[in-house]
Amino acid sequence: MKRSGLVCLIAVFILSGCAPEKKENTVSFYAMDTVMTVKGYGEADALKKAENRIKELDILLSSENENSDIYRINHSDGKEIPLSEDALKIIKKSCEYGEITGGAVDITLYPLVREWGFFSGGYNIPEKEKIENIFEKTGYENIKINGSSVTLPQGFAIDLGAAAKGYSGDETAKILKENGVDSAVITLGGNVRAVGEKPDGSPWKIAVCDPFSTNDYFCTLSVKDCSVVTSGDYQRYFIGEDGKKYCHIFDPKTGYPAESGVASATVIGRDGLACDLLSTAVFVMGVTDAEKLYRENGDFEMILVLQDGGLFVTEGIEAMTEIKNGKEYTVIHR
Amino acid sequence: MKKKTVIIYTVICTALFVTGMIGSVISLNRPHGSRVEIISDGVILCTVDLELSEDEVFTVEYENRKNIIEIKDRRIRVKDADCPDRVCVRTGWLTTPSIPIICLPNRLEIRYSDDGGIDAAAK
Repeated sequence: MKRSGLVCLIAVFILSGCAPEKKENTVSFYAMDTVMTVKGYGEADALKKAENRIKELDILLSSENENSDIYRINHSDGKEIPLSEDALKIIKKSCEYGEITGGAVDITLYPLVREWGFFSGGYNIPEKEKIENIFEKTGYENIKINGSSVTLPQGFAIDLGAAAKGYSGDETAKILKENGVDSAVITLGGNVRAVGEKPDGSPWKIAVCDPFSTNDYFCTLSVKDCSVVTSGDYQRYFIGEDGKKYCHIFDPKTGYPAESGVASATVIGRDGLACDLLSTAVFVMGVTDAEKLYRENGDFEMILVLQDGGLFVTEGIEAMTEIKNGKEYTVIHR
Repeated sequence: MKKKTVIIYTVICTALFVTGMIGSVISLNRPHGSRVEIISDGVILCTVDLELSEDEVFTVEYENRKNIIEIKDRRIRVKDADCPDRVCVRTGWLTTPSIPIICLPNRLEIRYSDDGGIDAAAK
């Protein structure tokens, strides 16, 4: 009996090594104005389906594409517009997180961000009066949802830049799992979605970009089945004629690029869409309000790097975080 | 359980543990290599080995727009570009696997062939 136990033990180890390995496949393509990469273990066909889904969402959710749901609502002149399930889900959740974060994330800031040239690349600091006029026609509270239709007041416009990649990561993960890929990592222009774990059972190793040296990373996270989303002031910015740095993340309370003292905000959680919205929100809120949000609504973890070099890590992700060069950090407790 | 059986179990478990530890250490510390891929619009234009390459400057074009790429002292960067945001130029030298140099307007990507044990980068 004891001998048979030993035989079984050996057999388990030998057979586990002989299990048919799923093949690694990678697809890389341009969508949502960025480079997307899907690396998964399973059939190549599953990855193709994932790619097609992302490209479908790219068209549907773009504020610049004339065939998109968002373009239609932005040009609806205040009329009620029926929307696809995808667009509706994102808009609803964006409004919900607008509430949760005290208005720190707002999908109606699009006309303002566009005026500064962040969509065209023609960067400029608009006249104060112009900013004030446009700012009057912002505010997610003005979005009216009626069943599957949405009404946006005339002059208002939305952009889902703070949400579309997070949602696409969730949808891609769903498609991969449905098609037998339960081990994958999806990179949506720096917005990462980990599906399951690595085939050997170990966690995925995700690097987080160093905001002060953008060709390097300052920490790695060992995670399974979650999203990791970073918002930073280094991603898109310009230096104005006044010598000041202006980033593409706007503060809905002021109508100007956010100046919260945060250089980079990384949010980790199960819900990629929520992580995407929250990374923008905590970037805008700054460390004090972000800490408060974490304690009150903390279904997420975060890592904040401040402009002065300060580093904050929430307690739920600390054990999975490896900070380079032994840099000191402060733990945010619940 | 006989003493001999206990010893056998212990030896097997220890061997498996040590093998796993060695594997992890090797995996986590392996270098990212020196081979770099230059990709234009999703197509690999060329692969260069920085350890073997001579210093040089060359241009990659996409729809009549240009990125000037420099290889110097076994490093690579986008030296200049005519894209509006110049993120690729500001990125500087390629130093880390999983953080490629990317020029979105000109659809250029420069990255290490080997991921260096990192699966993805949030940025």
